[in-house]
Formats: sequence, structure tokens, C-alpha cells
Amino acid sequence: MIPGWARRAWVVCWLGLLAAGVQGQVTNEQLLRSGELASNWLQYSGTYDGQRYSKLAQINRGNVARLAVQWIAQTPAQGNFEATPIVVDGIMYVTGQENTAFAVDARTGRKLWQYKRVLPESIKACCGHVNRGFGILGTRLFMATLDAHVIALDAATGNLLWDVNAVDYEKGYAFTVAPLVLKNKVIVGVSGGEYGIRGFIDAYDAETGQRAWRLYTIPGPGEPGSETWPDAASAARGGAPAWVTGSYDPELNLLYWPTGNPSPSDEGAERRGDNLYSNAVLAINPDTGKLVWHFQFTPFDLHDWDATEVPVLLDATLDGKPRKLLVHADRNGFFYALDRTNGQFLFAKSYAGQNWAKDIGTDGRPIPLALPAPNEEGVKTCPGAAGATNWMSPTYSPQTGLFYVSAREQCDIFYAHPQKFVEGRLYIGSVYMPPAREKDWGAVRAIDPRNGEVRWEYKELSAPWAGNLSTAGKLVFTGDIAGNLIALDAESGKPLWHLPTGAGIYAAPVTYEANGKQYIAIASGTALIALALAE
Amino acid sequence: MKIGWAWAAALAMVWVGGVHAQKKEISGAESESIQNGRSIFRVQCAYCHGIDADGGFRAPSLVSGRLSHGDSNEAMLNHILHGIPGTAMPANDIDEGSAKDVIAYLRSRSTKIAPPAGNVESGRKLFFGEGYCSRCHMVEGRGGRLGPDLTRVGTSRPPKYLAESIRDPDADITERYLAIDFGTAAPSYELVTVTTKQGASYSGVILNEDSFSVQFLDDNENIHAWMRNELKGIVHEGRSPMPKYGREQISDQQLGDLVAYLSSLRGGAQ
Repeated sequence: MIPGWARRAWVVCWLGLLAAGVQGQVTNEQLLRSGELASNWLQYSGTYDGQRYSKLAQINRGNVARLAVQWIAQTPAQGNFEATPIVVDGIMYVTGQENTAFAVDARTGRKLWQYKRVLPESIKACCGHVNRGFGILGTRLFMATLDAHVIALDAATGNLLWDVNAVDYEKGYAFTVAPLVLKNKVIVGVSGGEYGIRGFIDAYDAETGQRAWRLYTIPGPGEPGSETWPDAASAARGGAPAWVTGSYDPELNLLYWPTGNPSPSDEGAERRGDNLYSNAVLAINPDTGKLVWHFQFTPFDLHDWDATEVPVLLDATLDGKPRKLLVHADRNGFFYALDRTNGQFLFAKSYAGQNWAKDIGTDGRPIPLALPAPNEEGVKTCPGAAGATNWMSPTYSPQTGLFYVSAREQCDIFYAHPQKFVEGRLYIGSVYMPPAREKDWGAVRAIDPRNGEVRWEYKELSAPWAGNLSTAGKLVFTGDIAGNLIALDAESGKPLWHLPTGAGIYAAPVTYEANGKQYIAIASGTALIALALAE
Repeated sequence: MKIGWAWAAALAMVWVGGVHAQKKEISGAESESIQNGRSIFRVQCAYCHGIDADGGFRAPSLVSGRLSHGDSNEAMLNHILHGIPGTAMPANDIDEGSAKDVIAYLRSRSTKIAPPAGNVESGRKLFFGEGYCSRCHMVEGRGGRLGPDLTRVGTSRPPKYLAESIRDPDADITERYLAIDFGTAAPSYELVTVTTKQGASYSGVILNEDSFSVQFLDDNENIHAWMRNELKGIVHEGRSPMPKYGREQISDQQLGDLVAYLSSLRGGAQ
């Protein structure tokens, strides 16, 4: 028989655990209310709508000049640090390069644990051994790895809880995406558009890791859309990866996920057709993985213009009519507004230098200019292969009503040449290179999402790779390739403050609150840097 | 004997013609191998070595018949598959057969370039003497610092490029170094003029710059570091600080000597 004091101690202990379980635990309900729970940064884009906007306003236009570094946490891996950290109740969780991950105290940067998954030597990843961040539910962190596994780690210890091999990395598949977690599912999209893969989006059960569904981004033989490929063979190696985190509308119960380039990216002779569903946004029922509608930005792409830019969901009145919008600044140089209930194209407007399309027609298809396709001699085309923007997150501020995007002004000379497909090897169909003596440049552009007009721009000396964050302090935080973290006035674009971080910035800033103090955090070089107002 | 420019050109044409005449018939299998090699070359190699392998903005010509790290089939295969330590040349994730196809393609394009006809020693004297090249360029620790160090230039630039750069330095203004970060470029050797708010004016080259500050080497080799708000103006002139060496400055013979000297600079590489 257990003595009374022991029973009481046991009960107290359990009550304590239950209470502790609430702290640091993220529920589906909290993920839905991420925007209101602004002291935490619970998911890749901050909120399901992809707006990357925070209601925190302690740091504002009047005092941002007093921002000061609070801590710097160094990580061991080299390469571009592209991750968005997530922050839950004073703990920051971040993935690094080379399949590493960390948890740190969000007030001091002191490390709580670290995780490393040893990479196979023959790893395929066209563009760096990077990762863009965690998803979280309960006390579980979800990470998609370079060797094409999806794993769950314990948030308190970094211990591995489950590990699922999604696909064979030897065939050119990889993950770099930050998972999106919704309705007890972990959603990921695959990378590998340079290797002739067949792209897909997967959903895994957060509890068990069991796969709930897979949506191939290229239809199988006989399926709708398969007619946009000349044959089953070209479709089976047709690319259309899905390597950037999508958005979610809980009211419509639609998941919006963008897709990337068809393979081989520069040579189209063996894939004539629209190549669905490459370079598109897919609206998906997250319960079943069934495609509800799609919209393709660049049909039959020959310039590597992935549409893998975060789709941003917002409501606005267009021509007197309230609309549920999905807005998207595409790599092809055009800003698009769609009706997110049904995928109807509303308008598109050029937001960066381009020389390939006269306009986007009322049917949403580009009206091409008389520019030759890439060929043996090379064709100068703008934007270049890196696009007018890229994975770096845009942000939308409901406070200013403006959409902010990192725009790249750069062209490439595109060469095409037939290439034999070898599974697991680079499959590009030739090459692109920058024109001699042309200096790239860039800007953060503030776009009115109701009409696509650029309201202001903040010019940068080189084309940027950093994402953006807007806050209720009427600020936009961005980064440049020279390594500056920069605060802009969200209404005018005027630079108000900057910090030279010492390495080109390839990540997007986040904000959170700990002990009543608002922080801004950014990944740069090998470091995580957190800032707050000087006392 | 002094050979005139036109004569040299005519002789060169005869020589090239001879190479063409000697080219053997290419069999079907060889042709397929070359085609495949060309296709793989474009995907794996062209970004740095140039679309036709004759030198790109980051790496030397592979068809000059003179490769710094050896031009035997074994050496080339090893370099393609495993990279070259100490250089920017990476290992390539292709199979051995594909690498051999790339070599076949390079061989099919390769035309042995005759070593420059000039006199190396005369070129060296010109470089450090009346040509004033060493005013701005360094070789093995001797010379100026405003322009690129030329200690290994013979391994990275073909004679034609060197001759063009002397006659017309603006034709190609190179980056200061190979930028490590994906998707970025290093500052170039372009001429820049800076005027401070105090009214001082400097010409020189940029060491670094961003939206907020400028780091600068003036033509007296003094380093300056300014915040942009300390400057009245900064003009990127779009040309090289190096003067054009026309025929009035150096004769074709002297150009040949200088190119011969520069081509001989291989920093210990064979």
C-alpha cells in the first residue's frame, strides 16, 4: 500500500507536469491563432496566411535607432544560413546547414541542445546544404532533411522521436523546406528540380509519422493535366519541385502550395506543352491531399522561374467588391492577384525589370514578346535564372495595406542544349550565366496589392536574397547581400537603422517577446543574432 | 628578324589551317561521345570555364592545349571527378564515362596555341621598366597594388586575352576575387572617383562598399574608409584605371614580348 504522503506527492508531481506541459506546448488552436499570440513565432511565415507580420509594436519608428544586439549564437556549419527560427515561450528552435538543429534560450542565446543528422557523402542538393526551419505541434519539432527524411524531435531534448524516409535521395530528391503543421499533419514539399525528379507534396501524421497523403505535382498517365506533357517519360522526370512552405486558409480549408520549374529547366524540346503543374500554385484539400484548383504562372518555362515564393493570403476590396485574395510576386517578374476561393485570375502587373512578356493576358497567361527561347548561342533574358525574387519571404502589413518584396534586377544569358537524362544527376539542358559587365542591383518594393502599383522602393547595391518582416511598429525589417540587417519605415521606405552582421543575409527576420521585451532575430553567416531596444 | 603584324597574322592563319587539315575523320561513336561531352560540359563546367571552354569569368580556357595541372587524360579525368585542391575547381558528380566524354569534347575543341612568339626577358624588362606595368601590378611580391597581382596570370588567362587587356584594359574588368557566397559578386577593379564633403577628390578602386559605407584604395595606395554621408559624390567610371597601351606607347613587338613574359608567369605551376 502506498503511504498517504507518497500519494499526495505523486498527485502534486503530476499536477506540476500537467502545468509544465502547457508551457512550451503548441496546440492546433494556437497555430490557428498565431497572429494574436504575437510573443511567440510559431511557424515559418508567422501565421497561416503567409503574411509574416507581427502585432508587436514595442520597437517602432520612433525608437528603432536604439536597437542593440542582445546576443549572438554561433553555429558550427558553413554555408548559407537560410532558416526562419520559431520561438515558443522563451525558447528558440532553429535548423542550420548540413542537417543540424538547435534550441537556445531566446533571451540569452545559450544553447539547450543540438542535433546533427550525419549526411551521406553522395547527397544531392543543387544549391547548398541548407534548411529553412522547423514546424512544431505539441512538444514535437518537425524537420525535413537533405537526405529526404522527415523527422520529429523532442522540443525539450532534441531527441529523435520518429524518422520517415520519404523518397530515395540518390535519385536527386532532397528537402530544404520548413514544414507547415496543420490539423495534426506535417506538410512538406520536395526539392530536386535540377535532377529530373517528379515533384510531390506530402502530409505526415504528427503523432506517428505515418504518411497521410502524397500529391504528385506532375499528373500520372491519363490523369488531368497529363496532356500538357508530350509523353509519360518526359512527365516522369519533369521536375516541378515544391521546396517553399505554403499557406493555409482554415475557413476555406484550403492549403496553398507553390511549385517549381519543369526539368530540364533550359531545354524544352522534349517537354513541349504547358508542363502542369510546374511553376504554379496548387490549392489542396489538406484532409485528403486532393487538388482543388491550380493556377500556373509560367507555362512551358525555359528560364528556371520556379513559382516557389510564399503565397500571401489577404482580404481586400477590388473594384468595389470584397475579395479573398492570394497574392504572389513571381520569379518571372510579375505580381499576381488571384481569388483564393477558386483560383480565378484577377490581375498581374510587372514589379521588376523583365524583357520576356508584354503583359499577362486576361486569362492569366503571359503575352510573350518576340524573345527567342534559349539556344546554342545564348539569349539574354530578364529576369535571370534567380528570378525577380526567389524563396525569400515577402511580407504584408494589414496596418499599411502594403505588400513588401525583395526584388532582384539581374539578367542572364540562357543557353540550351539537349541533355541525356541520367537518374540522380544534374539535368538542366545547358547553362545560364550573367552578361559581362552588367552589375546586378535590387530593392525592397512596397506594392499595393489592390492594383499592383509600386508605392516606394528602397534601393540596394546588389540583388538581395533576404526575406522581409513587417511589424505593427510601422517597420519593415529586411537584409542585404552586403550583410546589413535594415529597418525601413513601412510607409515611406526610408532606412531608419541598420546593423552590419558581417555576412550576406539569406534568411528572413522574425520577432518575438520574452519577459516583456520585444526582440528581432535574424540568421546571418553562421550566427543567430537577437536584438532589442537598448535599456 | 622583325615580323610585321600582318605577316604574323598570315602565318598564324596558315598554321591554324594546317591544324584543320590534319584533323582526322571523327567516327560515329566518337561523335556521340563528343556530343554528350559537350552537353555535360555546358551543365557542369561552362558557368566558370566559358560556354565554349575557351575561358570564362572564373576559370581558364580548357582548349588552349596547356593546362596548369596537367593535360594527360588521366590528370583531366582525376580533376573532373575529384576537383583540384587549392583551387576553386570542385569535384563533379558525374560518372567516369561522362567525364571521359567531356575530355573527348575538350580534345575536339583543342587547338594547340603556339607559345607567344615574343621574348620573355625583354617582356620582363618592359614590365618592370619603361612599360610602368609594375607601378600597379605585382609579380612575386614586387610591384604595385592597385591592379591585379599577376604572379599566376599565365595559368588563368590565354595570350589573346592578355594582349587585348593591354591594348584595351576596359574590354574586361575583372572581379577582385572569387566571391564565396552563392549568388554574389566581389568588387571589381573599375576606376572610381570619390569626392568628400570637405572637397577632397580621390581616384582609385573600391575594396568594398554597401549602402552605408565605402572602403577604397586610392592611386597612391592609401586605404580610405568613409561613411556614405561623409561623401559628396562617388562615381563608378565604367572603365579600368589602367591606361590603354596603343601602338604609340608599345609596339607590336613589345606587346609580343610582354605577353610572352606574362604567359610565362605560372606561380610554380607547369
